Amino acid sequence: MSAQTEQNLILAVPKGRILKELMPLLQACDIIPEPDFSDDNSRKLRFSTNHPGLDIIRVRAFDVATFVAYGGAHLGVVGSDALEEFDYSEIYAPLDLGIGKCRLSVAMPEEDAKTEDPARWSHIRIATKYPSLTARHFARRGVQAECIKLNGAMEIAPMLGLARRIVDLVSTGSTLKANQMAEVEKILDVSSRLIVNRSAIKTMPEQINAWIEKFRTASASRNAA
Amino acid sequence: MDKNNTELALLPSGFADLLPPDAEEEARAITLLMKHFAAFGYHRVKPPLLEFEDSLLAPGPGARMAPDTFRLMDPVSHRMLGLRPDITPQIARIASSRLCKEPRPLRLTYASDVLRTRASQLRTRRQFCQVGCEIIGDGTIDTDVEICMLALIGLKDLGLKNITLDLNIPGFAARLTDGKMTEDMKSAIRQRNQDALAASDIPAAKTIAKAMQAAGPAKTALPALQKLELPEALTKDIDILSQLCSQLEAAINDLALTGISLTIDILDQDGFEYHKGLGFTLFSPHIGGELGRGGCYEVQFGESDPPETARGFTLYMDTIGKAATPPSAPPKLLAVPSSEKWTTLQDLQNQGWTILRGAPDHNCTHRYDSGKITPIE
Repeated sequence: MSAQTEQNLILAVPKGRILKELMPLLQACDIIPEPDFSDDNSRKLRFSTNHPGLDIIRVRAFDVATFVAYGGAHLGVVGSDALEEFDYSEIYAPLDLGIGKCRLSVAMPEEDAKTEDPARWSHIRIATKYPSLTARHFARRGVQAECIKLNGAMEIAPMLGLARRIVDLVSTGSTLKANQMAEVEKILDVSSRLIVNRSAIKTMPEQINAWIEKFRTASASRNAA
Repeated sequence: MDKNNTELALLPSGFADLLPPDAEEEARAITLLMKHFAAFGYHRVKPPLLEFEDSLLAPGPGARMAPDTFRLMDPVSHRMLGLRPDITPQIARIASSRLCKEPRPLRLTYASDVLRTRASQLRTRRQFCQVGCEIIGDGTIDTDVEICMLALIGLKDLGLKNITLDLNIPGFAARLTDGKMTEDMKSAIRQRNQDALAASDIPAAKTIAKAMQAAGPAKTALPALQKLELPEALTKDIDILSQLCSQLEAAINDLALTGISLTIDILDQDGFEYHKGLGFTLFSPHIGGELGRGGCYEVQFGESDPPETARGFTLYMDTIGKAATPPSAPPKLLAVPSSEKWTTLQDLQNQGWTILRGAPDHNCTHRYDSGKITPIE
């Protein structure tokens, strides 16, 4: 971990689905990134905003948590799934932004779901992007979960005999249905949080708290609307 | 180096060689701190690297370090030994055993390496140096001020520009809820999610949410905390906190120290499990980690003796190394022919030169030749 030399605050936001929902919220907080930010062809990684003291970086969702945990970024927006997976001690998550809502669930082939009794499990194999969260969840129930880490397309794992069960994000359930799989248990309700680095809020409390309050107001008025 | 030798250079994860100038820089910082603590009447102790596991991890400051402790079997006594993961428990043991007859308050200081089984986000190193002070047998606010000021003055001496001293009350939430915290509350506190707490039906949760909202600079945090409806014991703690802040501010002004911020986050509880009363953590902007921590705790040796009150702090030299400014003047290195007399070398050294015997190497800035010093281009 190297010392951050630039004095600018850095906000890390996730690429993809959540970013679309986040943009109106950023606007409500009066954060307007430079035009390159919305240009998918731009090779830039760091973007300036209308605030001279605030820059934005756009990275993978899991990396938002990593950047903020290690102090590379001071603020971030990330799903509670990533926060639970890493359980970083250096991240505070003061605000539920109410966007990116879905759930993290256990699923298995429909035919298995009809015949199997989960109470009899002692060891199961699970394909997931969340090995740590999954192992912890099942350990609490006295079940040893052997996790196979995949980065996407979890639904294909049972079909190809990699693992009979998966733990994955579910929003409508249509992907599961299309692959003849049934959602059998919800592990976690997921939504995006505003996160801050612990050391940053201690050493720059006024600046960081001001941004948290802006997001709080913007998200409250959005949820009320 | 052939491939085989390159592989031999591999160290286990979390361990590193400290090379020049980093090793010199750390040694210089430790010497400076030790001199400064000695001038305040602190006596240096040097506990061993290894101890019996049951005394190292005895109830008190050491108990929580069990998962961080490297263990090995002593082939002589056949007992389990622990490599110290922290020095404070050793100081507590020394103070309550071998130095139990020494007059109180007892002021001790130390500078030694510790080993930990687990690296953390704050620290990828598993071996690092701790430098600290402990004062045993005096629980007055004067000693709280002394401990905080020693840490601050020490860090300023090392050239740190900006320092944040973040104060907390260990066990605040647990005491407010009589130890009956739900898992949801614990997680909301850890995440600093005040909305989740404010929405709770439990009255104590709402109070915790307000305490959380108060977090920030001491000037704004204290008035907000003083407005909370709290049990008497906690009101007293807030009162002590407020006195400590004003005395610290006065001391900082008196010394005209700049770049120091006092903040309060009363709910910062992680790692303060054995503390009683007040705790504090030291931060520096843009250094992703803690410079040190300190606070009040109790020392007890043997079940029959009454516990003694103690306070102290520990500085983490690896984090400080990233934040401290090294001296700006480049070293003046003088190449002196090996034929010169040793008294000549001594004279030159007394004049402030660092000398290098033999042919000048690429680091030498000057050359000595038959009584004349000339700069090397």
